[in-house]
Amino acid sequence: MNPKEHKPLRIALAFFNWYCHPDFREEIEGDLMERFNTYYLKNGYAKANKLFIKDVLFLFRPAIIGNIYHLTHTDTMELTHQNKRLITILAVALSILSIPLIAMGFTNEVHWSIFDFLVVGILLIGTGLVLEFILRKIKTLRYRIILGIALFAVLLMVWVELAVGIFGTPFAGS
Amino acid sequence: MNKATLGEFEEIVLLVVAILNGDAYSVTIISEIEERLDRNVSLGAIQTVLKRLEKKGLLKSDLGDATNERGGKRKRLYEITAEGQELLDLTKAQRNSLWNAIPKLSFNF
Repeated sequence: MNPKEHKPLRIALAFFNWYCHPDFREEIEGDLMERFNTYYLKNGYAKANKLFIKDVLFLFRPAIIGNIYHLTHTDTMELTHQNKRLITILAVALSILSIPLIAMGFTNEVHWSIFDFLVVGILLIGTGLVLEFILRKIKTLRYRIILGIALFAVLLMVWVELAVGIFGTPFAGS
Repeated sequence: MNKATLGEFEEIVLLVVAILNGDAYSVTIISEIEERLDRNVSLGAIQTVLKRLEKKGLLKSDLGDATNERGGKRKRLYEITAEGQELLDLTKAQRNSLWNAIPKLSFNF
């Protein structure tokens, strides 16, 4: 038997160690490893790894949106570093911003100026920061969802207005 | 009235900790819930509730032994506090009183 098969995917474990609060790291990592070993004995290495990744992602998820299974107030934030979540949000914003940049290398259909990148960058990073503010200040899942949807609706409308000017505001060059 | 209250899932977790009697940590709690209630529970959900119940003073915890199957990491064992026991008793008494207050005719449909 390959000795590697006794260990879960290293990158998933590294991601867990990155986001988990150090105070809870030992006990939760132990839980993850114990569950991995149980999955391994029951289902084999490949399935155990998939389930391990699912466990790691599901541990991260409550820290972002609250716990889906019980809609009361939660203290899930304590399990993760808030600053690391902020970095994740900003990384997602920058990844979205990199899509047109990459696309410009492959097609002439996309041609953004530096000003376009600047405006969209401010828009995305601003949205990310507001989202982080909502997550830090609002503890109730219901209000988080409502405010999150409202925030993304505003982002979408501003983006659409800047792109095609459906409302005819001066920002869209009308 | 400023007493602590229990959500449905919190009550289940408290009861399971009481059932496990000294061997309650997140993995065994999840197995017990899945076995007894046929309900899937994620590790994140359990950790969240355990931390919250501990903060409310209904559970107390201590780090146990490290084992090989846990990758040499220690487990956090939970125990119900006197306050937790009292709240469970109260919740049970309230439920029983509500059940007893249902007129028998209500079930004739």
